[in-house]
Order: sequence, then C-alpha cells, then structure tokens
Amino acid sequence: MTSEMGPLDLAEFAQFLDQVAVTAIKDAAEGLSAFVGEPISITPPRLQLLSLSSLPEALGGPEAVVVGIYLGFSGDSVGHVMLLLNHEDAIELIRLLMADMVDGPVGLGPVERSALGEVGNLVASLFLNSVAAVTGWSLRPTPPAVMKDMVGAILDIVAVSMGYVSDYVLVLETTFQRRERHVDALFWVIPDATALGDLSPLRPELGL
Amino acid sequence: MNADIRLPLTVGLGEAKISLDAEDTLVALGLGSCVAVCAYDPVARVGGMLHAVLPEHNGRDDRPTKYVDSGVRHLIAEMESKGAARRRLAVGLVGGAQMLVGPGFAKALNIGERNWTIAKAVLAQEGLRVAIEDVGGSVGRTVRMRIADGHLFVRSVGSGEIELPLV
Repeated sequence: MTSEMGPLDLAEFAQFLDQVAVTAIKDAAEGLSAFVGEPISITPPRLQLLSLSSLPEALGGPEAVVVGIYLGFSGDSVGHVMLLLNHEDAIELIRLLMADMVDGPVGLGPVERSALGEVGNLVASLFLNSVAAVTGWSLRPTPPAVMKDMVGAILDIVAVSMGYVSDYVLVLETTFQRRERHVDALFWVIPDATALGDLSPLRPELGL
Repeated sequence: MNADIRLPLTVGLGEAKISLDAEDTLVALGLGSCVAVCAYDPVARVGGMLHAVLPEHNGRDDRPTKYVDSGVRHLIAEMESKGAARRRLAVGLVGGAQMLVGPGFAKALNIGERNWTIAKAVLAQEGLRVAIEDVGGSVGRTVRMRIADGHLFVRSVGSGEIELPLV
C-alpha cells in the first residue's frame, strides 16, 4: 500500500462499500427492530464523498450542536463508525428505545447517553459483522462514546483520522424510522488509509 | 463596534488568515481537537489566526497551515510581511480538546493535547509569548478575534462566551 491515497482509491472503496452497505444496513435495521421490539426501517444508504471542510455544512454548520455516537473499529481493517443526530432527534430516538419507560420530559443524562451508546454498539456491530461476512475480516468495535457538542468539534475526530492522508471522507447516510415518528440519524462509516489499502486483494472477488 | 455589522472572516480547517482591517473579526468555528493560534500586534494592529488540525508536518508535501508546527511559522512569517513585529506579538491558544473520553479511548490518542503542546513548543522556539490559553478538556470551542483591539471571544456549549484580551 502507498502512503498517499489518490481519488481513484477512494472511488474504488466507495464502490465496494456501496455493494456491501445495503445488506449491512438492512442487518443493522433488523437488529435494532429486535432490540426495541417494533419495526424500525432504515432508508437505503446514500454514499457520498465529501471534503473534510464541507462536512459540517451537512449538519447545519460547525457551530450547530449535535449528538454524536462514536465507535472505532480494528482487527483486519481499521476505521470509524459514527451516528450523528440533532438534539431533538436524539431525544426522539431515546423515546423510541425506552418506549413506556419514559414519562415526561427527556434529558441527556447518563441513562439516556448509555441508551444511545447501546444503539451505537448495536448498529455498528451489526454493520461490521455484515461487512466481515463478505470480506472474511475480523472486525472489533471499541466501546461507544456519546457526545453532545458543536458539529465542528465532533468532526475533528474524523479530520484527525483522515487528515494525514486525505482531505476527503466517505459519508454513508441513512434514516432511522419507526411508525409515524421520524428520526434522522446520519450514519457514517469512515475507513482509514489502512482499510483502503486492505481492499486491493479483494477486488477480483468483488468484481471491482 | 463596527465589527458587529460585518460578517466575520471564517478561518476554516487547515487555514490561516490575517487582517489589518480594524473592522474585521476572524473566527474559527467549532474547534474540537484542532487548535487555533491567535496572534496580535497591538501597534501595527495586525491580527492573524491559524486553525490547525494535526500537530506535525513532518516534511509532507502538503499545505503548511494544516499542521501546528509549520502553521505557526507560516502565520508569523505572513504577519511579519504585513507589518507586524515579532517582539510585539501576543499569542492566544484555543482548542485542543480531547473529544473522545471514556474506556477504550487511550490517552495516547489525545491529538488535542499534542496540538497545543507542540504549539507552545514552537512558539517558545520562535521567541513568542503565550498570553492566553483556553485549551484541553473535552468541550468544543469557537474563537473570535477582534482586529480593532486583539480581544478574543471564546464560546463553548453550555458555558456561554468569555472575553479574553490578548493585550
């Protein structure tokens, strides 16, 4: 693998991710439905290649306050998984998850953060398992970190991860939905340079 | 203050900007582990801001302002070329937080701390004094610099805005 990653490598990875992402997201949705005991649908993932500097604009600008659920993963490949929601959507997601246990206003205390962390755990694990089933990789997520802060500050995690290699990042976007309640969650998978390098041997199998 | 009626000049990720216009405000929005190096010459009334992402350039063929070490030197040189005198420069450091805290996130990954530590080391090598530090912790920050007087305004979620005069 080379230390410099050109646009071509990213494009190839995007194609790869696009092929496994649909199945992986469906697996994550089914798992989440089982977790809450109600049907939860996830819209088909949309894959975008965006510049690091333009990323915060997708979430209302660098100063907008959002809730971020972050997990790294390592093993045969390395990267990052992130769920980003605005505060109202995060609260709505907590209501979806805790259903009848929630009575009255919901804040973002330790219990709620823990619940969001579990969503991150679940979604990331299912996604990674699905990727692993296609690639044969062993992929292990870190524990989740839940943050409520400025978009720009949370996205620095991504900027630092990719910064030495590329000014671009792949954004995999999906929407969590249950009944009439609508929760928008930006779901991201961010491969690092190692992950992109690891893809080359898989190209013939995947038809890339 | 006239700065209120003019849009601030945004210093984006990996950028540096300099202004001699007293009506300007420079701003770095939503700093997490990134660090803003804010320098001001009160006599020439030249202000500059760097929004660096990573600590060390390590000879990369890349823009110097993305990195703290090369970015600080770039900022100083640019400000000197615009009439600032090194001996008069007062510097403020803002940002460098650790956004990921908790089990499983090693302190070794604390890029934020490395960013402001390197910034202080390079500034010391260049003979510059750090007048103000609002660094570390695990909160995001926005910093504005008013060119008219070199005052910094630092905002973070949940604790409002504080005014920090550089000189």
